[in-house]
Amino acid sequence: MSTRCRIMFWGCSYVKTPLQNGIGRYVPQLQRITFKFCKSSGSSHGIRQFIEQNLLNFTKENPHVVVYVKPRRKRAPCLKAEYLNGASEYVGAHKMSKEDISKWVEFLRTKSGDTTTKFLLKRHHTDFPSIQGTWTAFTHKDPKINVTQLPNEELSEFRLPEPSGTEELLDIYWRQQRQKEQNRDEEN
Amino acid sequence: MSLTRRTQQWATFGRTWYLYDMKWQNPFHSARKIAYVLSGRNKPIFEDRTDCGDHVVAINSRHISLPGNEWEKRVYYHHTGYPGGATWTLAHELHAKDPTIIVEKAVYSALDKDLTRHGRMRKLHIFPDDKVPEKIMQNVTHQLRQMRPVPVRLDHIPKDVVDNFPKIFDWPKDFVLK
Repeated sequence: MSTRCRIMFWGCSYVKTPLQNGIGRYVPQLQRITFKFCKSSGSSHGIRQFIEQNLLNFTKENPHVVVYVKPRRKRAPCLKAEYLNGASEYVGAHKMSKEDISKWVEFLRTKSGDTTTKFLLKRHHTDFPSIQGTWTAFTHKDPKINVTQLPNEELSEFRLPEPSGTEELLDIYWRQQRQKEQNRDEEN
Repeated sequence: MSLTRRTQQWATFGRTWYLYDMKWQNPFHSARKIAYVLSGRNKPIFEDRTDCGDHVVAINSRHISLPGNEWEKRVYYHHTGYPGGATWTLAHELHAKDPTIIVEKAVYSALDKDLTRHGRMRKLHIFPDDKVPEKIMQNVTHQLRQMRPVPVRLDHIPKDVVDNFPKIFDWPKDFVLK
């Protein structure tokens, strides 16, 4: 199944590990890697060197990967990786050095085969959107609003962020008046 | 989707209807606040491509207050498209013709200039006085605070409040104010 076909049937999704792979046990996802190259062409020089010097090591370290080596005349070299989930990845290896090939092989070996990273829905995603509960229009609102008759003068009127000088002076004055009344009551 | 999740979705993305009293308010100043609510920027779930704006019911648009001499100096331009079809209408002329149009134009220019603008304008309901149809008033649950204090006339303040207002000194009875 090609990537395009897979996306058509399964849709795109966020980056994730298949079946929590790596927690407890690890199931290698890369199943098969095919090295396609030309035996004579200069553009396949790097891949031929990799096959001569590094490929046996790679197969010994990764016994779970089936390695195919496919020489073909006058064709551009490439790597094709096939994964457990049915996805396949193609890397063109035209004029690549041996070191570049090693890096690409390592990249293909450690991939999960999930090709949907290219088709991210958004740049941010979380499985747990909110711990304390999702916001609603009535969060942190005074429940008194439910029984208030609108339009309401008190809710509507302009308020300064801090009380103005006049308001503060009036406040001091009325406090003084109340204090005086209290003192008068105590005397009586 | 489970019933809990569906209810959550309704609660979070449900539209809130706000009331805003335009009495003695500067429409261009208020338009910024109204546009903020219409685009949903007052919500923590705001995301510019999500349709999460609220409704605003602006009342008393007949009683708006323009700053300075703008009733005489502000000009609204319109062109019919035909040669010689340009018209320039003063703010007070336009207001006499339709008391909601100055507020509408002010909010329209305060909104984001993109494809969301017409959808957001549809959520704005302007009324020249405080008579709002019952069907719209049923939805209103919140009220936005005004941007400026409404001036009060001295003869509209209750007499006992005026009489009890603290004074440092009183003018003598025979004092003549020039």
